[in-house]
Amino acid sequence: MSTERRLMRTSEITKRPVVTYAGDDVAQVKDVVYAAGGGAVGGFTLSGRGMFAGPLKQGLSWPSVAALGADAVMIRDENSLEPTDAVLDASAASGGSGGDVLGSRVLTDAGTDLGEVVDVIIEVTGAYGGQCDVVGYEIEASEALGTKGQKVLIPLPDTIAASGEHLMVPASTKDFVGQDLAGFGAAVDDFRAQLGGTS
Amino acid sequence: MRFSEASGRKVVSTTTAETVGKVDRFVVDVSGPRVVALELKKTESGNTLRWSDVTAFGGDAVTVESAEKITDGGEDIAPLLGKGNQVLGKRVLTTNGDEIGEVSDVDFEAGSGTVISLLLDHGAEIAGTRLVGVGSYAVVVRAQ
Repeated sequence: MSTERRLMRTSEITKRPVVTYAGDDVAQVKDVVYAAGGGAVGGFTLSGRGMFAGPLKQGLSWPSVAALGADAVMIRDENSLEPTDAVLDASAASGGSGGDVLGSRVLTDAGTDLGEVVDVIIEVTGAYGGQCDVVGYEIEASEALGTKGQKVLIPLPDTIAASGEHLMVPASTKDFVGQDLAGFGAAVDDFRAQLGGTS
Repeated sequence: MRFSEASGRKVVSTTTAETVGKVDRFVVDVSGPRVVALELKKTESGNTLRWSDVTAFGGDAVTVESAEKITDGGEDIAPLLGKGNQVLGKRVLTTNGDEIGEVSDVDFEAGSGTVISLLLDHGAEIAGTRLVGVGSYAVVVRAQ
């Protein structure tokens, strides 16, 4: 199995088909369920395939995901699915979902508003047993970044204070702003290394 | 031999020397992987011919002992029949969840039925041994 790291926007994951190794699309992603206080992906709620299909009672927890790829979420077989409630409970037990961050304002600890969260950037490392961490946000930049109105990427520290209204990030975040996903992984690493060195 | 070359080939009975059908589609079992049966058209009754009942898969015709070998499949083959399990024209996903193309043709060993490789629409060739599943949505191959 590949151990490369991949970055993707969570908005691109919704509606992605869930496909078994046997080649059948048994569901599609409805929503991402966050775990560890919003710092990781705990799993997915699912809906049926097809235009008129509704939500499913079964969900998918991250440890049962064989791979999260560019075009499909792969699972070994249908036994990888479990009741949606179990997926939500497991995520809550790991420190909560962290709530919905879309629309929150990102504020630095120096009191500067960087912009509004429009998407969540996750990093997948490896397949089974790998991690799926939340490593950044895509924000619509405020004046403080000098690119007002543009969508930019900001890296996140390992843990973050979130109130639903604001997300609190270190002031140095604005030195690690990225324009696109290519190279953003390095920005995340540099940012986290710098935080680790000063704390 | 390619699926594209072999499809439409006549199936002839060695007992009566009559044409008893034409090759329509190939039934692939991913274990092997190999062709386990042929789906035929223009038959008298039934439409499935097991690979083990094929006398020879020749360049001009497929020979079979008699038309009676053409059946409705049986318990082991029936679940593999139908459009959902067709390989040709289907999208190819790796076990990493990435789409790498569509199957445009399949190269197989005419003697044993072993699938040698999948040929994709953009020219890539995937070894048959990487085949993991053939389902309603996709052909799944092991990521490298």
